[in-house]
This record gives sequence, C-alpha cells and structure tokens, in this order.
Amino acid sequence: MNYLDLSIDALHEALVKKEVTPLELTLEALKRAKEDNNNAIERLDEENAIAFAKTLTEPEVDNPLWGIPYFAKDNFSTKGVETTASSNILNGYVPIYDATVVKKLKDAKMVMIGKTTLDELAMGGTGTTGHLGKTYNPYDEKHLHMVGGSSCGSAASVAAGLVPFALGSDTGDSVRKPASYAGLVGMKPTWGRISRYGLFPFAPSLDHVAYFTRDVSLSAYALNALSGRDENDSTSSTRPVEDYAADLHKDVKGMRVAVLKDIVDSITNKVLLKKFNKSLEELKKKGVEIHEVEFGKELLESLYATYIVISCAEATSNDANLDGIKFGPYEGGNTYQEVMFNARTKGFSELIKRRFVIGSYCLMRENQEELFLRAQRNRAKIVAKINEILDNADFIYAPAAPGVAGLFDGASDKLSDEYLIADNHLCLGNFAGLPSITLPLGFEDGLPLGVNFMGKAFEERKLFNIAKTFEDISGLADLSALNKKEGNL
Amino acid sequence: MNFEAVIGLEIHVEMKTKSKMFSSAPVGFSREPNTQVAPLDMAFPGTMPVVNKQAVINAIRVANALHMEIDHTLYFDRKNYFYSDLPKGFQITQQARPIGKNGYLEVEIDGVKKKIGIERIHMEEDTCKQLHFMDYTLLDYNRAGVPLVEIVSLPEMSNGTEAMKYVETIRNIVLYSGTSDGKMEEGSLRCDTNVSIRPIGQKEFGTKVEVKNINSFKSIEAAIDYEIKRQSQLLLSGEKVRQETRRWDEASGKTVLMRVKTDAVDYKYFCEPNITPIHLSDEFVENAIRTCPELYDSKKERYLKAGLALSDVEIILSNIDMASYFEKAMDKVKNPKDLANFLIVEINAYLNKNVLKITDLSLKPETLAEIVLLQEEGGLSHKQCADILFKVLEEPTLSPKDAQKALNIVAQVSDTGAIMGFVTQVLDANPQSIADFKAGKDRALGFLVGQIMKLSKGKVNPAEASRLLKEELLKR
Repeated sequence: MNYLDLSIDALHEALVKKEVTPLELTLEALKRAKEDNNNAIERLDEENAIAFAKTLTEPEVDNPLWGIPYFAKDNFSTKGVETTASSNILNGYVPIYDATVVKKLKDAKMVMIGKTTLDELAMGGTGTTGHLGKTYNPYDEKHLHMVGGSSCGSAASVAAGLVPFALGSDTGDSVRKPASYAGLVGMKPTWGRISRYGLFPFAPSLDHVAYFTRDVSLSAYALNALSGRDENDSTSSTRPVEDYAADLHKDVKGMRVAVLKDIVDSITNKVLLKKFNKSLEELKKKGVEIHEVEFGKELLESLYATYIVISCAEATSNDANLDGIKFGPYEGGNTYQEVMFNARTKGFSELIKRRFVIGSYCLMRENQEELFLRAQRNRAKIVAKINEILDNADFIYAPAAPGVAGLFDGASDKLSDEYLIADNHLCLGNFAGLPSITLPLGFEDGLPLGVNFMGKAFEERKLFNIAKTFEDISGLADLSALNKKEGNL
Repeated sequence: MNFEAVIGLEIHVEMKTKSKMFSSAPVGFSREPNTQVAPLDMAFPGTMPVVNKQAVINAIRVANALHMEIDHTLYFDRKNYFYSDLPKGFQITQQARPIGKNGYLEVEIDGVKKKIGIERIHMEEDTCKQLHFMDYTLLDYNRAGVPLVEIVSLPEMSNGTEAMKYVETIRNIVLYSGTSDGKMEEGSLRCDTNVSIRPIGQKEFGTKVEVKNINSFKSIEAAIDYEIKRQSQLLLSGEKVRQETRRWDEASGKTVLMRVKTDAVDYKYFCEPNITPIHLSDEFVENAIRTCPELYDSKKERYLKAGLALSDVEIILSNIDMASYFEKAMDKVKNPKDLANFLIVEINAYLNKNVLKITDLSLKPETLAEIVLLQEEGGLSHKQCADILFKVLEEPTLSPKDAQKALNIVAQVSDTGAIMGFVTQVLDANPQSIADFKAGKDRALGFLVGQIMKLSKGKVNPAEASRLLKEELLKR
C-alpha cells in the first residue's frame, strides 16, 4: 500500500512527519497516471508538477491539502497548459490565465499533475463524447461499463487511485452521478459558494465547480480552500467562508431527512433498494428522523425536458465565442461567415451541434415563450417545491442513480419512469443551487452504488456532518479500485 | 400634397470610464492596437462579466438629466448574433429592463421650446474595431467592451434642425455629466436616425428609413433634411419608399443605399446568467445624482444671472475646458462679463493664432482674474489690460503688475477736474458737434468722447468722460 492510498488524515500525518514528501507523492501519481488504462487523462503537466512539488519542503501542519497531487477536469482554464474541454474546437488552445479554483489550490499547495477527459464541453453524462473517445470505469477491467460523465476523467482518476482529489464541474449531475458509478464522494456546494471564474461555461445558471474525493473529510477540507468571494465572478457569494470540517463528528440526533418517495418508487433494482432501505434503518439508529415525501411525479418527469431546454439555450450562447477567429484551430474561409462556419463545422461533434440547434430553437422569438420561458417558469416551480420540502427537513435523501453504471452498449428505454426520475433527479440541486453530496452505498457485482444528500443553501457544514455519519455507517471511506483489489480497505 | 416628417434617433455614447463595462481592462482610445485588453474582452473561455460601478453611476446621471424613471434593479440580457467584431458571439445589453425609461428633453428653436420624448436609456458594451483591407481584416480589441449608453428617442422630431438640437442637448448632458467626451467626429457619440414621412393629417407612420454614418451635428440636420426631400419626391412621383438602411455621404451631401431591410434579425435575447440582478439602494441612486457635476443648463442659467450675454454664455459652454477655466476665475473678478470678454476675444485669438487648446494655456485663471481686476479696479482700460495680457502670455514669468510696468502703462485719469480739462478743450475745438448734438444727433457724443480719448492718449475713463461731457453739453 502506497501513501497515496491512505485516508487524507493519515496521508497528512505522514507528510507532516516527513515519512513521505510531496515530490514522492507527485512522482507516484504521475507514474500511476502513465500506466492508467482508463483513458482518463487529456494531458499531464509533469514538468510543472515536479518543479512545484520540489518547492514544498516545509509541511504545513494545519493545511491538510499541503502537498497533495490532484487532477483538474480539462474545462478549467490553466495558464500555459493546453485546455480543450475535450473538444476539437479548442485543440491547441493554451489559456493565458488560471481559473480561480486552480489558483486557490495552488495557494493551498496542492500539486496539479494534469488535466482529465470529459464529455465534449461538459455536455453529456456518459463519458464517451470527448475527442479522446470513451473513458472507462476503473471497477470494470473489461471496459464494458461507463464511469458516467461529464467529469469522467476526474472520476476515473480518483477511483483508480491516481490521486486523492480531482476537480470537476456539475451542471446537471456531472460530478455527483459519476461519483455514484465510481464509488466516490462527489460534492457540489451551493451556487455561488465557489467562484466559477475560469470554468468553461456550459450553462452558467446551473454550472457549479464540484469535486471528487475518496472520503468526506477531504471533501470538507477542500471546500475550505475553494470557497469564497471572487471579484472576477460577480455571482460568487460574499458570505464569509466557514470551517466546513468543524462539524464532521457532531451528533446527528434529531436531524430530519426527507426521502423522496417518487424517486425510490421508480427504482427497480432490488439490490439497491435493499441497501438503501437498510441505510435508512442505520440512520434512524443514529437518531435521525426519516420521513417520506411526495415530490409529484409529473413535476419530476418534467426535470429532464426543463434541464435540456435551459441548459442547451445557455450553451448555444456561451459557446458562440468558439468561432475560429480568436483561438482554436483556424480552418480558413473567404469571409468571416465562412471562417466561423468551417471552424464550427469541423470543431464540434454531431451531439454538440444537436444541442446547439435545440438551444437556438428554444430561444427563437416565436418559440421562446412556449419553450425557454416556460422552462424557466417550470424551474421556479420545481425550486419552490424543493424549498417547501426543506422547510420541514434538513436534507433530501435518495439513491444517486437507479443502479450501477450502465454498459456502453446498453439498450436503454430512454423515456421510462426510471430514466426520467431516478436517473435525472440530481439536477434538482442545480435548479435550486443547493449543496448536494454523493456517497458510496455499496457494490453490486463489483460495481459501486451511491446515494445523495441535498441540504439547504450554504449549510455545507451540516451536509458534511450527515455525510461523515453516513460514511461511518457504510464503512466505505477511501474507496478506490486499487484499494479494493489490494484489499486495503 | 404636403408631408410631415417623423424622426426618431438612437444615440450611442461611449463612456470615458477608467475600465471597461464588464472587464478590468483600461479604456484608452488611440492607443496601440490590442494593448487595452483583458481576457474577457477576447472572450477567452471561462471569463465572466463584472459590472462597472462608475458606468452605472454615469447612466443614472444621464437618465436623471433626461427626466427618466430609474430602475432600482439592474438586469442584463444577451443579444446573440455572429459577427467578426463581436468576440463573445453575444453582446451584453439591457433589453427587458433598461436602467431608465419614459423621459424627455427640451430643445429651443428660435425661442420656441419643444419637448421630445425619450423611450429608454440602457447600458451595453462596444464591439471591437475592424480595419478592412483588400483580402484581410484587422481586429483591434481595445474598443471591445468599452461601456456604452444607448438613448432611444420617441419618434417625435419633425425636421433636421430639431434632431440636431436634440443631439446637441444630449451631447451637452453626457459631456457636462462627465460621462463621455461626446465627440461625434471621433465616434464617441454615434447617431442613427430613423426618418419617415406621411401626408399631413395621416395617423399611420410612413415607411421608415434608417440613416447611418453621420459624423457631425451639421450632418444630422443635412442628412435628415435631404432624406425628407428624397422621400417626398419619391411619393410625389408615385413611387414607394422602401424600408432600407442608408448611409450619409458627407462629400456628395446625399444619403446612399447600404442595404434593403428584410425581416428583422432575431437576436434571441435572454437574461445574462452570469450577472444576477443587482439591487441599487435609494442611497446609491440619490448619491449618483447628487454628486453629478453641474450640467450645461444649470451653468447656462448661472452665467446669465451673472450678467453674461446669451451669445457669450453659449461660446464659453461650447468648450467644457473653457467653461471650467472661466469658473475658476469668475469668483475673483467684480463682473464676470469683463472676464468673459477677455476669454472670448483675447484668449481665443491667442489660442487660435498659436493653434493651442485652452488646456495648453500656461496662464492661470487666477492670473487672468488679476488682469481683469486691473480694468475693474485699477483704472486701466480694456485695451491696456489686453496689452498686459498678451505681454504675460509672451513672458509667463511676468506678473500682471510687472507687465504693466514693463509696458509703461499708467492708470486712467479719473480725477474729475483733470477730465473736465480735456472736455472743455474738445468742446471748444468742435462747435459743429455741439450743434449736431443739440439737433438730436447722438452720434456726435461718440465722436466727442473719441476726441477726448485721443487728446488724453487713452488715459481717461471713457464712462466718466462721457458723463461729464453730457453735463457740460447741457450747459452750453
């Protein structure tokens, strides 16, 4: 067992005691990354990572992030390091500035060792649409199952044990769903808690910086470093940053958890249901009050359509800057129209173009009322419902997905209840901008299953409290495919 | 058939804020291309807009000067279209909720005042500048993101002169509120006009023609009057006016077809998700208004009250730097009118002759006030003071007193006895003029004063001489 596979607290202790150095960790992470066969990596930033790790010689006792190597999803702007968002339209684009979160992690002395794959421009949930092709689930050596997306590379790199932490982004469920498929802690805080400056936008009203860890403690420590007001992102909150790890070990007695009955009812996977129900019993033993609530099937079934309309509409506008004029591959043309047309025709995959067409269609003058504005109104209705439930509960709790990760070649009945509800409900957290965390629940045939807690706005401390309690119950901290294989758990 | 014209104007004003509308890049005109640029201005992925507070303050000030209702919540929208000068592929503007609406301004033509309604004022950002060549185009992003306010009038003007006055009034507001330098020739104030005509008495509007590329106040008047004439002639000869965009061609004095308008472009407006609605407190809005620099109309009124002639007021206020110079000296003289005279005549002559701007002048306003006081209190004539002024301008190290000494200028004689001596001498030598005066020819008086001035070598106070002369004439 390598230091890299320890819990964050054990790893930090080893670093403080100088049993291991940031440089050794970085070299090990780079070695593992080079040997990795999950197609999780867009590119390594080996030289800079080593150079930076070498400067970290005096351990910072109070900074658990000190010297920890990590990956960033390739839709975070990294100065001097090519960033493509796994799209051909950004091939060769080398940003001139660092995203705020990249800067903050550097300030916290974390070592970025490279960039990970994603579904092209973060649009997609399969981890298959990036320009490098499919990213695989580390728990499936046969490479038949997806790891999910869009933060596929970040999920796979943490689950494979390359690094203890990876940055992702979450617009619908792009961190929290793959976290469920990869047996990880996937955290998306309140909208505005973490600056989005430097995150390539997909749909800003839904976009969140989110991240993967293997235990709840690191998830809380990381939020301490990542959150805060940023003058470059006027939507970032001016609320003071708290110590999000302060309540990790607090008693959860009396906390109220609302279970969304409609979601549970739509799930057909018996193993998942059994484990989920068992978790309810365990939570009750800890003094948590559990009650079932109905969200409303019709409203839940409208999530997917509402999400598609709003996210595609915003995306078509956000990505209008990708025109081959200022950056990205230049494909020639005799007029500016031809230059843009050629660059965008060659640069985007069919799936992306389809989303742009949908988004553009929804925004057209004659359709806006019936599609875009209607979706906005429905979003408000959904948010009102969530808030109504949270008036009487501290958390909303549900399985994060209807089961384990699907097959690449899986035939799916896309419009089944299970798909529309259990496979799409995590976007509730994006519509309402509420903090939401996915945690491992167990395994089915060697593949992870996950659950999700969603809390009230800016109550991340409380969310980590229940999450840590849950982790203690499940005993599934520090999961990775490697730890599982080697029996380190 | 008699026609009446219906004219509406859209004015874009570039704000001279320190930084851009949504980025921290400096606003700097005529700098090296692509040196005043932040990542947002080139739409690098991941950049986000942050609203410029000073631009909001400016917009509030202009909206207030135009008697508009000010929205206390700021909303921004995206206007989506592809164009080579538009880096993000959309422009951030205020479509649904402009910062100001329902205002008006007054123009005065030949002493008659007319109210012109203003529909809206909103904030937005400029595009980058394009330089087209034979087979390539250069892009300068210095201008991309420069804050703009757009002011949209109601279609309530009826001729070129009104439109010109309207734009002049807006120019004065943006200039004196410190919002913009308002230079049409340099494009910091741009005006698009919509002109249509209809038979007098008809309620429906005629077909609207847009005229662009108007680069001076005079051209507004000329372009609109030309367009009214063109459209009238079309209708009179049985043809129709086409809905089109035309360009004012300064050289030929004509409007020229740019493009025929088809269905309006769908800009697919929607709210800007990266700027959440911003609430402006009453205090913020009131403070923006209260701290607004004094506007043109207020200064005009104040100068008139101080005794200046309207024409002088207009000359001084036509140049904000001259107005500012004037104000620094006006409290230090007895009669600001005397100061205005020096400024408009001698100072302007000096500046013109040396191709200088008033801001280049080394002469301090306080020093000019000293010179004016030499006339007002020191008994010197205007002419004598002017000589002193030019001497000081030539030799800036000299004080007015030193210059007076160097020029051997002595104070006017204001001793009644001494002046009386000159009066008597002149009257004795000009009996014919006395007769003329008695016969009611007022001109004679002026001639006699002139003779007194000549005899005294300009040293007597002409007003005093005139008074004594009149008394003496009545006695004879």
